[in-house]
Amino acid sequence: MSVEAPSILSTQSPARPSSNAAVIRIENLVVEYPGRGIGQRATTAVKDLNLEVYQGEVFGFLGPNGAGKTSTMQVLLGFQPPTRGAASIFGVDVRQPIARQRIGYLPEMTYYYKFLTSEELLRFYGRIFRIPRPELEVRIDSALKLVELEEARKRLIRTYSKGMQQRIGLAQALINNPDLLILDEPTSGLDPLGRMKVREIIQRLRSEGKTVLFSSHELGEVETVCDRIAIIHRGELQVLGRVADLVEEHQMDLERIFLKIIGYGMNHQREQRA
Amino acid sequence: MDTPKDQTKSQKPKARWAPALFLCLLCTTAFTLGAILQQRVYSWTGSGGGDLMQVLLGNGRRVLADQFFTTADIYFHSGAYPSIFDRQYPSTNSARLARGVQETPEQEDAEHDREIALLNRPIDWIERFGRNFQITKETHLSGGKEREILPWLKLSADLDPKRVDTYTVASYWLRVHLGKPKEAEEFLREGLLANPDSYEILLELGRLYFENYHDLARARNLWEAAYRRWNKREAGKPRPDLRALDQITVRLAWLEEEEGHYAQAIKWLKVALAKKASPNPEGLEARLKELQAKLKEAEAPSPAPKA
Amino acid sequence: MNRIRASISTIWAVSGIVIKELYRRKDFYVLFVVTAVITLMMASVNFFHEGKIVRYLKDICLLLIWISALVIAIATTARQLPAERESRTIFPLLAKPVTRGQVVVGKFLGCWLACGIALVVFYVFFGVICLAKQDHIGFWQYFQAIWLQWGMLAIVIGMVLLGSVVFSAPSANATICFVAVVSILILGSHLHKIAITEPEPLSVLLSSLYFLIPHLEWFYAVRDRLVFDQNLIPWVDCLLATLYAAAYVAIFLCGTWMLFRRRVLTT
Ligand SMILES: Nc1ncnc2c1ncn2[C@@H]1O[C@H](COP(=O)(O)OP(=O)(O)OP(=O)(O)O)[C@@H](O)[C@H]1O
Ligand SMILES: [Mg+2]
Repeated sequence: MSVEAPSILSTQSPARPSSNAAVIRIENLVVEYPGRGIGQRATTAVKDLNLEVYQGEVFGFLGPNGAGKTSTMQVLLGFQPPTRGAASIFGVDVRQPIARQRIGYLPEMTYYYKFLTSEELLRFYGRIFRIPRPELEVRIDSALKLVELEEARKRLIRTYSKGMQQRIGLAQALINNPDLLILDEPTSGLDPLGRMKVREIIQRLRSEGKTVLFSSHELGEVETVCDRIAIIHRGELQVLGRVADLVEEHQMDLERIFLKIIGYGMNHQREQRA
Repeated sequence: MDTPKDQTKSQKPKARWAPALFLCLLCTTAFTLGAILQQRVYSWTGSGGGDLMQVLLGNGRRVLADQFFTTADIYFHSGAYPSIFDRQYPSTNSARLARGVQETPEQEDAEHDREIALLNRPIDWIERFGRNFQITKETHLSGGKEREILPWLKLSADLDPKRVDTYTVASYWLRVHLGKPKEAEEFLREGLLANPDSYEILLELGRLYFENYHDLARARNLWEAAYRRWNKREAGKPRPDLRALDQITVRLAWLEEEEGHYAQAIKWLKVALAKKASPNPEGLEARLKELQAKLKEAEAPSPAPKA
Repeated sequence: MNRIRASISTIWAVSGIVIKELYRRKDFYVLFVVTAVITLMMASVNFFHEGKIVRYLKDICLLLIWISALVIAIATTARQLPAERESRTIFPLLAKPVTRGQVVVGKFLGCWLACGIALVVFYVFFGVICLAKQDHIGFWQYFQAIWLQWGMLAIVIGMVLLGSVVFSAPSANATICFVAVVSILILGSHLHKIAITEPEPLSVLLSSLYFLIPHLEWFYAVRDRLVFDQNLIPWVDCLLATLYAAAYVAIFLCGTWMLFRRRVLTT
């Protein structure tokens, strides 16, 4: 993720969203996975979630492992029908074949077609977006430059390391120049430099007025890039708000807030007292 | 004392060889056990494991050999062949191709017409439409194209050398239609080696010498040998192969007649009649009379050839 | 109009991936080499010093081609959708403006075109063998043979694609489909006759099966016709057979789509 990348990485303070149009709206969402065997109870991954993500903001979606972040995102992309409740993107119900033309999505733990090179992979996705050929080539070049895969662009994805796979995933999410980005743990598996570049990319997108929803376990990076965050625990929304407001309100840093919400701080303190 | 570093060094080659050695050991064990078990298996079957294998494989090979023979037959009819579901009467699969060897052409054609008629009419639209793709018109190979059946006959013989038909049929097409008596003889000799008792092969070999080489002496020897084998193998049976006997004896009579040995010829015809071999005894009877007349003529103190 | 164009281009893109996969995997090359080696070995056998024997060779070569094509078609198709789910590539794909129907059609088209390419390679080899043995080549006979075989493969691919959303394991699906196709080729045309001779419940079952299954054996008959130098099949019948294949493909694709559309992909 070189610095000469054609990124218009703006260091100036990002333009705040003026319009308050909700890009993502989640209402009373419940997601249940049916029990596998006989007598097994269904798992409730998300319970009565209400959430709105506005135009132009970077939204951090936090929660411990198994909290229901991925499940929520999968509902947003229509892979998983909501058990109850509703969700919409750009005002269109997610159960409709939505306008995915404007969305970029980075799934967690994905392997891409192993028998393709990264160049071919991006060309394939670009063709689905019907990006004209000359422009597509330019975008592929810049996307590969952005994620620093230029050296490996003609190698089969089969030969990539985990971090390289994550990078190509990021590149494919950006290929259509999306208005809304849904990133499921974008920095997982990346080296420190890679993480920094991801932060820069997110900030650049915000400066361009794009909306970003991403989940992460890196609270530091969340603190630096997010406008607002939500913390969910066991499928329930616990905290929602601007980072700065939350810190002020709870009088502790984000990490403490997080630990407190998932109930770790209490037990820990009690143990210490005992 | 070795330093820890040295220890790892000295262990390294050992560690590298250990799996290979272990593998060798396992292989040795497996082969040894195999060798021991094989002996035991012999004792289980009583007659030796090899025989068991031969029985199992032998059956498969025989079925395959039959199949290849049928394939040759299908080739001869240019791919048109009623399936077992279309044939309404049981017909031995060797019948059609072998007919060329054994019967006269007129009979063959009559038989064929019957078979085509028996390829019954389609019973639904699916079958009717399917007929457009199948080969339904029967044509016989001719003009040297008969050679196309040879590979299958050869394969059939390779798989089941005891299948006598294969040799005689192949020889017939080779020597009569393809002008290759040398190859035919070679093949027949191969068959004779595998079936030293076969009068059929001897009969065919005799025909080859008689018809292609006009070597009457050898033809006689072969046919007489064929007759002896026939007696050895068939005479005692409740339903002996009379058609073959008919062919052998009548051909011998023919040959002797050509040589002028009328008495011999008469002897053979009498054999044929005595065994009721011919499907047409009246014809034989007539031939016999003719021959007897000729014999009388020849035996009569020749009334001066100039007369 | 624009939407149709967009849809076609998407389907085309999806099918391109399948074709790339075929030629980057080793299956095809292995099958081709095996076919070529066996054929050349058979060609070198001397039968009674007859140099011009050719039909057995055509027969064997075509049999190998049919088997190889079936294996390629079934193996390639059976793994498409399961592999997408297994490696989770289906998620980034469906997050793009692609409907599940387009994925199904794209996968079908890709497998079918890939098989077409493989077929052409095989038949070029076959043609070379025939010419080397100085057998005349009737161009239209060859065309009909390839075309009808390709049409049959379309039905098979459709069937396997449907199987891949019905059965969970691709290997089970491939095995079942292979057995089904081979039984249709061998028994398909006779089921009705067998049915007539059977007692009541079985006979109804067999004859309904007979009218339901795609009659692949029609298409298989072109192999014999090529071996035995038969004249052309009437073009009308070719056309009808093509339409027949198209109808079955449509049925199978519809079924696949209906099942796949409702499929929850996250489990
Ligand atoms: N396919 C599935 N079938 C059954 N249960 C599932 C399935 N996927 C997720 N779950 C359950 O749903 C709950 C939420 O899972 P989810 O993947 O949304 O968590 P997450 O917040 O993304 O966690 P992580 O931080 O580990 O990615 C978990 O309890 C999980 O066990
Ligand atoms: Mg997750």
